[in-house]
Amino acid sequence: MAGTVIGEGLSIEGDLTSDEEVVVHGTVRGKLTTSDAVTVGGTGSVQADVSGSSVSIAGQVTGDVTAQERIDLQAGGRLVGDVKASRFTIADGASFKGNVDMEM
Amino acid sequence: MSPGSVIGRGAVVRGNVRGEGSLEILGRVEGDVNVSGDVVLGESGVVRGNVSGVELSIAGTVQGDLRGSQSVLLERGARVVGDLSAPRIGVAQGALVRGTVRTDGEPALAGAARRGAQLHAPRPAPAAAPPKPFVVKEAPKPLVSEEPEAEAPKPEAKHEPKPEKEKESSPRERERPPAPVVPALGKGAKAKKKRREA
Repeated sequence: MAGTVIGEGLSIEGDLTSDEEVVVHGTVRGKLTTSDAVTVGGTGSVQADVSGSSVSIAGQVTGDVTAQERIDLQAGGRLVGDVKASRFTIADGASFKGNVDMEM
Repeated sequence: MSPGSVIGRGAVVRGNVRGEGSLEILGRVEGDVNVSGDVVLGESGVVRGNVSGVELSIAGTVQGDLRGSQSVLLERGARVVGDLSAPRIGVAQGALVRGTVRTDGEPALAGAARRGAQLHAPRPAPAAAPPKPFVVKEAPKPLVSEEPEAEAPKPEAKHEPKPEKEKESSPRERERPPAPVVPALGKGAKAKKKRREA
């Protein structure tokens, strides 16, 4: 079980900070920061800068995404914002607009 | 609907949480929580803000008001500084509450307000009445300004309203008027009266 789950229909307006995994099926507006993994589900909508160890996006994200390890933009996922991670994958069927910085 | 939401033990939310479904809070929320489902606040949970939902089960710390459309239940170990309102409220042994606890929510509030108004309304009338007898019969003038509705009946029946008021407040007036007569009784009477008034 993930540390934090924002269910479908629930919305957080403000900053969400955690040191555990965060799964978003609902809405987050503000800022999303964790030292663990972030998963944005198919129904998830994040209008915030996202930071985590690894970030998986199947829903919508508007904002800059930073990951210590990797970012996976999955099929059906939609990302508008700059990406910063050493590993970054974009699946077939995903949409993405922004800059990529794969720092070496 | 979706599986319920959880704000994990290590999570901190600075802002408002609202929406549909139930919510379990094991972490910290600094803002209002407004949910259409049940809210469970775990022992490790902390909320600084108002919490509203259907059934609230609180075992953590809340600094804010709790409103449940069905119930609010404070478990052992709960620490709440704020008001509770719900049709059903339970407080377990070992729970800490500081605030107003109100069952039945808003209907009770409205009733209490009416009762309060009834309690306060009659007080001004007797308070205003006693001085009038002392001012002899020329008192009607203040009455006119105070009660514009009474202006019409006055010319017809000046004496009628007065007796009614005297009857209403007669016990209090009879206790007070005798006091001025007392000085005739003895030297110490005035001093005693002043002491009583003081």
